[in-house]
Amino acid sequence: MSASRVWAAAALVALAVVPWLLARHQLSLLTDLLIAGLFAMSLDLIMGYTGMVSFGHAAYFGLGAYASALVLLHWAQPVPVALLAGALLAGVVAVPVGWFSTRATGIYFAMLTLAFAQFLYTVAYKWRDLTGGSDGIAGVPKTLLFWGGPSVAAPRAFYFLVAACVVLSFVLCRAVVGSPFGRALQAIRENERRFTSLGRDPRPFKLGVFVIAAVFAGLAGALFAPFRGFASPEVMFWVFSGQGLMMVIMGGIGTLVGPILGAMLFILIQEILSSYTEHWMIFTGVVFVLIVIFLPGGLVGTARRFGVIR
Amino acid sequence: MANVLEQLLNALALAGLLFLVSAGLSLVFGILRVVNFAHGVFYMLGAYLGFTAVALSGWFWPALIVVPPVVGTVGALLESSTLRFIYRRPPIYQLLLTFGLALILEESIRVLYGPTAKGVDPPALLQGAVNLGGLLYPRYRLFLVVLSCTVAIAVWLFLSRTRAGLVIRAVAQNSEMADCLGADVARVRTLVFGAACALAGLGGVAAAPMTTAYLGMGISVIVEAFVVVVIGGLGSIVGSMAGSLIVGAAQTWGAFYLPETAMVIVYAVMGAVLVFRPWGLFGEEE
Repeated sequence: MSASRVWAAAALVALAVVPWLLARHQLSLLTDLLIAGLFAMSLDLIMGYTGMVSFGHAAYFGLGAYASALVLLHWAQPVPVALLAGALLAGVVAVPVGWFSTRATGIYFAMLTLAFAQFLYTVAYKWRDLTGGSDGIAGVPKTLLFWGGPSVAAPRAFYFLVAACVVLSFVLCRAVVGSPFGRALQAIRENERRFTSLGRDPRPFKLGVFVIAAVFAGLAGALFAPFRGFASPEVMFWVFSGQGLMMVIMGGIGTLVGPILGAMLFILIQEILSSYTEHWMIFTGVVFVLIVIFLPGGLVGTARRFGVIR
Repeated sequence: MANVLEQLLNALALAGLLFLVSAGLSLVFGILRVVNFAHGVFYMLGAYLGFTAVALSGWFWPALIVVPPVVGTVGALLESSTLRFIYRRPPIYQLLLTFGLALILEESIRVLYGPTAKGVDPPALLQGAVNLGGLLYPRYRLFLVVLSCTVAIAVWLFLSRTRAGLVIRAVAQNSEMADCLGADVARVRTLVFGAACALAGLGGVAAAPMTTAYLGMGISVIVEAFVVVVIGGLGSIVGSMAGSLIVGAAQTWGAFYLPETAMVIVYAVMGAVLVFRPWGLFGEEE
């Protein structure tokens, strides 16, 4: 068995066993962390594998959260229906935004994604009738697993639903990255000009990965809404997009598993610091700046550099 | 007629503030090849320091003069203590670093000043309205128009007519060549970064009597400034002017005729520019 298979097996066992050992609060923290990890991992698809930094990824998380909240609250459908709705809405909105944004490269792309995300945030904030404005949508229920099936309202049940979604998404993202499509993305990241001169148009690939990343971010958001019981404009705010970027960088850009670890690190720092001070963001910011300067590979990149893992 | 004049002046006042922020953003990109995400926070810092200066001294004018250099110094110190070390990395890292700095500064301001907005009184000379051929127009907005036009002309003259401006343009065009010819590139970068932050700080102090100093003003202005430079083209001062005027006009007339959709109009303009000239009206194709 190769080393990476051992790691994968260990991670699966840990995901299955750990929830039975944790107290209620810790279990909720772990669920939170997995949702954030899924969000960060989806961002890594565009950031790490295609070299496009999006400053507006939270918008798709937020769209997923709102769609899921509305489906659960008004139609009381099973959770997977809400998850599909969230992922779908995020993907559909990402098509026009991506079409415009991927016309630009590098810095311009980052600025455009931010501008569109702030626009969507404003819409969520102002469209009171649908979104509840700044109050958001509260009281989102955790419904059934399928029609006539068991409820996922218990913390551990919901945890396993989230864990299953994250594992499935990870496998799918791995498949995307390893496919010819994913290879093309990495070629664009390495040298877009050469890619173009080989007679390929990079834009459909960029748009494609932008939409795929939005779908997974939407799924994360769709899990978030029933988990926390609400959807509010804050989840679409630029600060949250930025936190996603921080998770990716802290864990290791372009590794898929790194962003999940980064989310873990980020949320643990937040959890520990916020019990001492409400201004934990300052310290997180400092840690982030230090990592950007001194450990640009993040956790995974640094571990690789020192030969801990391949 | 009076109505048109009023809208025109409103658009100019808004464009002036946008120019003070976007000019620095564009200048820094030209020299450092870094889009400074923290630029809006320096604008916010200017507004809050302006509040403090006015509260301490009771005067507006000293605040307008003292605050920009202070903001510029903070910027220059941050550049030389963090950004300087990672210029050789891919641009992603510089963008992320300035994002981290933005977060730290924004949260620090929240800690120091608390969550409520801080109002700043305009100086006595600029309070009230002035009669412009039948139109009563707030004096302070007129002052904003004059101030930003003066600064715009000064920046343009400095860059195009002075020796220091020549060196800056040389570094922007080809930093390695400028380095070979004896320009102190590292120093130029720090000074330009500081000067750009000072411009943003000036914008912040000047805006404070009109908008108050509030948390979140940094992000809202940086998003607008991004739109301005996308339209005008990064690295071009003329582009910043044109972009500011377009965004200022679109927002003002949009808010007047079709409220709620002002921002949509701005985005439509940006979308059109991107389709036909993805590198901006005055930018250079990469």
